[in-house]
Amino acid sequence: MGIRLYKEPELKNSIMLCGWPGIGNIGIFAIDTLRRALRARQIGEIEPWDFFDPVRVVIERGLLKDLVFPTNKFYFQRVKGRDLVFFIGEQQPTNGGTRYAEGQKAYDMANMVLDVAEKFDCQRVYTSGAAVTQIHHTMRPRVWAVPNRESLIGEMKRYENTILMSEIEGRSDQGLITGLNGLMLGVAQRRGLDAVCLMGEIPYYLQGAPWPYPKGSKAVLEVLGKILSVEIDLSQLDGLARQVEENVEQFLESLYSAEAVPPEIREEIEKLRYARPVEPGPITEEEQKKIMEHLDELFDQGGWRDERHL
Amino acid sequence: MKDIFRFSEKPKFENPSLIVGWNKDAGKLSPKVIEYLNKEMNCRSFCEIEPADFFSLGGVAIENNIAQFPENRFYCSDSDDLVLFKGDEPRFERYRFLNALSDLAEHYCNVKELYTISGTISAIAHTGSRKILAVFNQHEFQEKLQGYGPEDMTWKGSPAISSYLLWVAEKRGIAGVSLWTQVPFYLAAAEDFQAIKVTLSFLGKRFNLNVDLKDLDVEIKKQNAKVAQLRQDDSEIDESIGALERGLSLVEDEQMELTKRVTEFLGNDG
Repeated sequence: MGIRLYKEPELKNSIMLCGWPGIGNIGIFAIDTLRRALRARQIGEIEPWDFFDPVRVVIERGLLKDLVFPTNKFYFQRVKGRDLVFFIGEQQPTNGGTRYAEGQKAYDMANMVLDVAEKFDCQRVYTSGAAVTQIHHTMRPRVWAVPNRESLIGEMKRYENTILMSEIEGRSDQGLITGLNGLMLGVAQRRGLDAVCLMGEIPYYLQGAPWPYPKGSKAVLEVLGKILSVEIDLSQLDGLARQVEENVEQFLESLYSAEAVPPEIREEIEKLRYARPVEPGPITEEEQKKIMEHLDELFDQGGWRDERHL
Repeated sequence: MKDIFRFSEKPKFENPSLIVGWNKDAGKLSPKVIEYLNKEMNCRSFCEIEPADFFSLGGVAIENNIAQFPENRFYCSDSDDLVLFKGDEPRFERYRFLNALSDLAEHYCNVKELYTISGTISAIAHTGSRKILAVFNQHEFQEKLQGYGPEDMTWKGSPAISSYLLWVAEKRGIAGVSLWTQVPFYLAAAEDFQAIKVTLSFLGKRFNLNVDLKDLDVEIKKQNAKVAQLRQDDSEIDESIGALERGLSLVEDEQMELTKRVTEFLGNDG
């Protein structure tokens, strides 16, 4: 189990940004888009074999050439005098075969990432993921900001389109962040390191969809752009977001016209189209559960498998 | 090592080779090969890997009316310097499991060569010959085994546990080969006695084993007669197998139907 650093630049007061796959791939899409836009260079990796199974074998003329594992890479770039370290993981480590990180392996991974953060004099860590909520896919997602210490709340409130847990209707100030995004906040807190999780909203009826949700990623990137004072070209993400939105519309329309979803579920989803996010949720928890059960089933069915490449 | 292994005895080895088979395999090839070798060589189990860290032990699965429990055992015999391993693929911690297996092979048994055996589902007829395809983890070992019959393979895709083990062995400097014997796709759920025999013949030749394959010849004859009977009774099955014999391919529906009918027929016939 090891960290391999190919380069060890002298960094001061750096910021670390972490992305992993998750619901709608909102977090990894946002962080990796930023990494690419800033042309950050790879400086190291976490050896994957203690955390993940191989995904591909390459055999040529009777010789085992390669066994390919999900990667976990560190990148670095200096932007306007500020040192940025990126960590991009292709999978979340788990002990029990679940989709999101949990157990000893997840804890070990979080600690290894933070070991590198501390090595590079990191002052703050940002993670990113999805906030599953009652929002329609045509609306602009907000960004839920969850810091790991009270002193960060004031700063987070200043960024446009961010919202704290306590400001979300019906949640008081409580919630749960699953997987590495949550674990990193906790482990960083234990080390006395500032960390914030930025979660882009995603409609709850799309949380099981096999597509990314770039609208949520874009919302996160807009906030990160402000935090880091960098201009990020979001035109590509905009185009992708529009494409996904059209595809979601078409997908739902095809379900409606084939009567694959009961009329009451259609009605509940459509209610959200006209609801403002600051309003109390337009549908009840029970209605939400009913819709989710139905749509998850449809996403899982081969007959409704979406063949589009997004 | 103490926690993971349970030794029933501690035999001494010189420089043995390790032959690894997994309980679930196409044509039941690898479990049957290991069982056959165990019987022919009078092998006994000397060590097993404790399952708790690698399998879900929240109950037992039932297969073919029998309660199943994961079993991963090493075997040896007094007459040959060989170590055999037969086990279930771990559900969790595959890397740790394969390292444990390799630890015992390397540090306790002083294993110098690793052989994994598996069936590979192929679009061939049961009446034809079976090739053994090979993947080596060292070029020198590949050269050493030239002339024994296996053909080099080229492939990219999801790795099987045998390829994963081969990679773990390579990292430790243990020479290894994964042997993939062809199994006609419609015999994948049954026992492919011909593929079992071909694999045993290779191992017999490689290790100068005195393995009597007469029992297998009887089983091959019986199985071929059964499938011949099915071909006689069903012209579609006959056509499909005939096409494979002529080197033609079948469409997916035809493959499914052939597999279903042969599996049912051989299953019902005991």
